[in-house]
Amino acid sequence: MLERSPHLRSQGRRSRSLLKRTPLIGFAALCSLLVGCGPDTSTVARSDKPVSGGTLVYATDREPTCLDPHVSGDMPQVFIGQQYLDSLVSMDEQGQIGPWLAKGWEVSADGLVYTFHLRNDVHFTDGTPFNAAAVKANLDHMANPKTQSSTAGGYIRQYRSTEVLDDYTAVVHLATPYAAFLEVLAQGFLGIESPTALLRSRDQNCESPVGSGPFKIVKWDRQSQVELVRNPDYNWAPPTARHQGPAWLERIVWKFIQEPSVRFASLQAGEVDVIEALPPESHEAARRNPDLTMLVALRPGNPTNGTLNITRAPFDNLKVREAFVRSADVEGALKSVYFNEFPRAGGALSSATRFYSPDFEHAQDYDQGRAAQLLDESGWTGRDAEGYRTRDGKRLQVHVVIGNRTPPSELTLWEQVQATTRKAGFELLVEQMSDVQATQRQADWDYDIRVGYWNTNSADVLRIVFGSEFVQPAGVGGYHQNTAGFASPQFDAINQQALATQDPEQRRALYYQTQQIASQQYLQLTTYPQSSRLGIYKTTQGVRLEPSLAVTYLYDAWVNK
Amino acid sequence: MSAITYSNARHERLARLARRATWRLAGGVLVLWAVATLTFFALHLMPGDPVLAILGGASGNPTAETIAQATREFGLDKPLAAQYALYLGRLLQGDLGMSYSQHLPVTQVLAEQSGATLQLTFSALALAWLLVLALTVLTAGRGRWVSSLASLAETLAAALPHFWLGILLLAVFAFGLRWFPPAGSDGWRTLVLPAVALAIPLAGFIAQVTRESLELTLEQPFVLTARTRGLSDTAVRFKHALRHAVLPGISLSGWAIGALISGAVVIEVIFSRKGLGRQLYQAVQAQDLPLTIGISLAVAAVYVLANIVIDLLYLWIDPRQQGKTA
Repeated sequence: MLERSPHLRSQGRRSRSLLKRTPLIGFAALCSLLVGCGPDTSTVARSDKPVSGGTLVYATDREPTCLDPHVSGDMPQVFIGQQYLDSLVSMDEQGQIGPWLAKGWEVSADGLVYTFHLRNDVHFTDGTPFNAAAVKANLDHMANPKTQSSTAGGYIRQYRSTEVLDDYTAVVHLATPYAAFLEVLAQGFLGIESPTALLRSRDQNCESPVGSGPFKIVKWDRQSQVELVRNPDYNWAPPTARHQGPAWLERIVWKFIQEPSVRFASLQAGEVDVIEALPPESHEAARRNPDLTMLVALRPGNPTNGTLNITRAPFDNLKVREAFVRSADVEGALKSVYFNEFPRAGGALSSATRFYSPDFEHAQDYDQGRAAQLLDESGWTGRDAEGYRTRDGKRLQVHVVIGNRTPPSELTLWEQVQATTRKAGFELLVEQMSDVQATQRQADWDYDIRVGYWNTNSADVLRIVFGSEFVQPAGVGGYHQNTAGFASPQFDAINQQALATQDPEQRRALYYQTQQIASQQYLQLTTYPQSSRLGIYKTTQGVRLEPSLAVTYLYDAWVNK
Repeated sequence: MSAITYSNARHERLARLARRATWRLAGGVLVLWAVATLTFFALHLMPGDPVLAILGGASGNPTAETIAQATREFGLDKPLAAQYALYLGRLLQGDLGMSYSQHLPVTQVLAEQSGATLQLTFSALALAWLLVLALTVLTAGRGRWVSSLASLAETLAAALPHFWLGILLLAVFAFGLRWFPPAGSDGWRTLVLPAVALAIPLAGFIAQVTRESLELTLEQPFVLTARTRGLSDTAVRFKHALRHAVLPGISLSGWAIGALISGAVVIEVIFSRKGLGRQLYQAVQAQDLPLTIGISLAVAAVYVLANIVIDLLYLWIDPRQQGKTA
């Protein structure tokens, strides 16, 4: 979900899963633009033929708190999950849904019943066969409050029940039409686990979950590493994979190295083969180093942004919102804070999201003249001694609430926004506090701007971040996901229509409208899309970022050491 | 007759030691109770709902049912006083509860993580003493020039912040020369840089007091006596003077255990080592109440225990102390 600020860590936090769908094309473009990733900046001889065997050492920044991605549901969980879990359906680089554990499916005309026809040759690594009962056990597990599933459970709120028609036919009933259902099923967060293993306690399952994927988890040495070995029986790779049969790698050592510079140095020294969350300040060094390649993919969903609270002054006024957005020089800030390594996101959807339209990219372009004119029109015509605009003696003041787990670079970005919006006469107060305090301020609607993002592989994300049903607190904690407070029956109706149709062209047209409304309403100052950024040492090839959430996928990777 | 007196004296001496140890232990228990209580209330006073922290913080997308379930599961729906009573009761039975963020019993987290931290702190302490002995015994009382230079080095070392030293060592020996791995917790090679980073400032502190006391000792008449008996300078320093001179340094070592563990928080994070320090850092960030309290208690217990041991060690090194009851 969302994003709230705190989690602006490069990996995104939880839930959002997103992926990058951007696939190849996007990829190639990005590569040439951003990264030298391409065919081989490396001068080192590599074998282009996959080699079976060997150990790949992978280093990432954050350790998951549970290896089962159904529980809670933070980005680090789905990165490991993608290695040992399979999903019911797959998503290709164009965002199209394809078969995986389900060979095919039908959707009822009212959009409420999904009938999945399952493969009959799959078993989990504990020997349990995969069948309709396993599908039922998994969906029930995600929806069960005891699982404490924030992400997977949150994405299938419409789920009602699963009927086991026969061993290999599962019929899923939804409470309301949900065309994004197949999309979210393709995310690793909703990966299918062994029903036998799910019978154990949640905490046991967190420690040693069991899937049917190309690798299996052997050992989790906390604060150090997770060890995975190849599943020798694996013969049900998705159509998006580059080969079939068992994985090339014999073993994966999945390490946790929190400090970005240490992670990058370990890669340069060849102590690890692949690192995730390559820090933007090291991109240039990685490009110049012949031993390294980079793999970068944008994640789909709602890009990193500051969401404006429209339920109180001054952002209850559309002109003031546009003036604020126009007076923020985000391009300039991205250049100085992220060395131009992150592209600007101008619309409510990341360009990696299916049904994204580029038409709204320039609605937020920096324009101090327009900002000044809009503020004049809305009555903020006075100026006080410090140069801030005033109206009726009140200063034009806005508060941005930032949690303390937000990376320092993000804070710097907002300081730059502070400097440029000041020119238009805004006093932007950057308030940093503990995450829990920030969440409280959010619950109380006591902010003008909340920083966050939401990774998910569906344009339905706009319903979550701007739909009126999410203005209400999602739970007793009083925490709402629609941080803008935007509530429009027309916007809601378009989203419902989009969920009720399976026709891609209709969905595209409807999601065009929701993007347009979000853009015209100036509900967010969007900054840059979330991305997955890998650095790869010369010993390793075939590493991919899968398309559903731009998650690392090591099934097709091999090492020459 | 004289044998009996001796045995009585010895008995009495042991009894005094035991009494002293008992009192210290009782004091230690009191300290632990205070730590448990303070941490408990401090964490409860932190603004915000721990349930949201448990469910993944602000980025979670929990349903109302999920939140209600977690609230019940962790007993957060009870009044604070009841939670405190429940918590103390469990504590007495050695039950530290379940960590919200790790999905593990706190005792298991402690068991898995404390080894690495103890290894790090004790290596650092041993290394610090090696440096202290080498530096002070060889340079104390060697003339103004040598002494002041060594003393300057000690002051500088004592003032170095751990994070700065850690990053410097990383830059030079891990990134630059590549003699040691920059991260990890397996094998002695990964232990070297973190231990050095912790040992240098500590050695600076201990060396300052040890040098001062060594220089005073070297002026004592018994040192002159020893020299007139024809002992070499090195023998005098190691065999006679050192025993007197290390006393202040040893009592400082008790404090140092605490300082090292707090230093371990920073060092474990910088060097991506497993251990209690890094775990504590994460537990506080995640507002993981049981784990934060559990680690604080474990650290306090080590600190209390180390100070009792140091106290007894003191008596052993300097029997004169036994006359004075603490």
